[in-house]
Amino acid sequence: MSTSSAVDKSSLRWRLGPLWSLVSLLLIVTAATFITASFGKSLQVQVQYALVSLVIVVALQIFIGTSGVLSFGHVAFVAMGAWTVGLLTIDPVLKENLLPDLFPFLMHAQAPWILAVFIGAVIGGLLALIVAPVLMRLNGLQAGIATFALLGVVNLVLTYWSSIGPRSGQSMVGIPEVLDYKLALVFALSAIIFAWLFQRTRPSRLLRAAREDGIAAAASGINIVTQRVIVFAVSGAVAGVAGGLFALTNRVVQSSQLYIDLTFLTLAMLVLGGTLSLSGAVVGTLVFSAIDVFLTNLQSGIDIGSVSLSIPQGTRPIILGLILVLMLIFRATGLTGGREFVWPFRTVRPLPGNPPTNE
Amino acid sequence: MNQLIQSLVDAISAGAVLGLAALAIGLVFGVIRLANFATGEIITAAAYSLILTWDLGWYISIPISIIVAVLISLLMELAVFSRMRNHGPATLLIASFGLSFLLQRVYELIFGNNVRTAPIASGLAQSVDIGGIRVQMLSVTTIVLAAVLLIALQLFLTKTSLGLQLKAAAADFKTARLVGIPAGRVIGLSFALSGILAAAVAFVLTVQSGAVGPSFGVRITILALVGAVIGGIDKISGSLAGGFLVGFATSMLASWLPQEMTNFKDAFVFVLVIAVLLFKPSGLLIKGRGVVRT
Repeated sequence: MSTSSAVDKSSLRWRLGPLWSLVSLLLIVTAATFITASFGKSLQVQVQYALVSLVIVVALQIFIGTSGVLSFGHVAFVAMGAWTVGLLTIDPVLKENLLPDLFPFLMHAQAPWILAVFIGAVIGGLLALIVAPVLMRLNGLQAGIATFALLGVVNLVLTYWSSIGPRSGQSMVGIPEVLDYKLALVFALSAIIFAWLFQRTRPSRLLRAAREDGIAAAASGINIVTQRVIVFAVSGAVAGVAGGLFALTNRVVQSSQLYIDLTFLTLAMLVLGGTLSLSGAVVGTLVFSAIDVFLTNLQSGIDIGSVSLSIPQGTRPIILGLILVLMLIFRATGLTGGREFVWPFRTVRPLPGNPPTNE
Repeated sequence: MNQLIQSLVDAISAGAVLGLAALAIGLVFGVIRLANFATGEIITAAAYSLILTWDLGWYISIPISIIVAVLISLLMELAVFSRMRNHGPATLLIASFGLSFLLQRVYELIFGNNVRTAPIASGLAQSVDIGGIRVQMLSVTTIVLAAVLLIALQLFLTKTSLGLQLKAAAADFKTARLVGIPAGRVIGLSFALSGILAAAVAFVLTVQSGAVGPSFGVRITILALVGAVIGGIDKISGSLAGGFLVGFATSMLASWLPQEMTNFKDAFVFVLVIAVLLFKPSGLLIKGRGVVRT
């Protein structure tokens, strides 16, 4: 490919192109948030959940999109973040009653919510960093199974170890109501900017090269495992932030909510949009959440003029599942096909390391 | 000593069930590279059939459950997986994940969130005395059932033309097609056999619990999938052995871990799995590093 002459001809577009891919995403998310939120209180809550999902999906994309390796384990880091925020923000008096078996230092630990979210990010990232040297040696199906095993271990420990959380089967309640949809939007936009900047760093570029051709990348001196470890830890930290936001949004934290179903739903969003691009993560989450919100409201009935439309309870997740399965059958590369938005929506300039678009 | 033998019998029986479930996954994987997470929902469907029709008598209920399992398994292949032939194992795994989620919600809609109960083969829930050692009747039955199924499967795979075709396809699908083995037929056959095995697993599990809910098959499928992968999902015997190992280990941990640790038994198994994958990524029964066909 001789892109160099094209670069010379339009170096301005070459510079603006990638930046536009970021700006357009930020604009779309902001617009979608405020438009939906203007329909009332209950939609604001649903928007907030969607924004939390967005942060999880961005975290997933940072790793899966960059490395091409499947991870079923990211919800483990989300759970760590949620646990951290829960433990640090619940009132100590309440904690003594609800979580009587806690370690003493956890019983007294207390932090402002925003600090708690960042500690959650550190803990999520640390866990990812610790397990990564082991998990990152695996590929394909084996990587999927091993990351799933990690999720299983973390979920069981959080469910049953009452020294770090509620007794089995119970949940953490009493998380303060501090986060609204506008603050959640700030976090979601920050996550997108962070992911976009991270795409331009050395580890991310090297790992994209390795994703496209592992043998050539290794022959060029790239230590694939090391790069994967770095990217996995970074995406684990973002997932930790998402967990904190989940705790502050849901205000009840229970290990059963942070397990297979959440893993499936967030993966579905990423696959729907297209795993290979950040735009895919954002578009997938927005489209999936929009359908979800629409169906949720349809389940409780929507009035259009004099006609009231509704669908039976329980059909919402069925339709969502159908959408994912159909999407995988007919367009496995997702809605965006792995491309980023490019100014002025004409030329597609994949990031170095992205697959050629005219395969 | 008695306790040791009892726990061994229980562990062998638990291993047998998981071995069958892992085999149900491995048979299909060998042919089309699909690690079918939705196998759990085939098991659930068979379990619902058993529980809801048990009043009609076992000689009606058991055949119904087998037919339902085979039909659902074939339907999955026809409706979803046959349209995804060109995708890699990771995409297929996500698709089966989606299908599993979808079917669980369908069961929720049809049968409700609460468990349905029926005393399935309550005679098997008793213990018997064999030479002074008390063992669960169900454990013995399970071991016998698994042995019979495995012998039948082995005879089918080695003595019949259709079985040999399936075996060849599972070993190397491309070459098998080149020598004229009809692809559609072997794929359908693998899904049908997978359904029969799932029905057997459902029978044992419903006798054990007497109750079924929408996510009935999820836990055993996770463990079976994990078992199949560590045993070597590329080989039929690998899946079986891996599934057996995981079931055996889980049951032994449940018997011998201190009381306050038993809740974590699956966690130990998962750690074991990660360790095995690290040293033998292609599976315990695959010689050398093995070629991970993707």
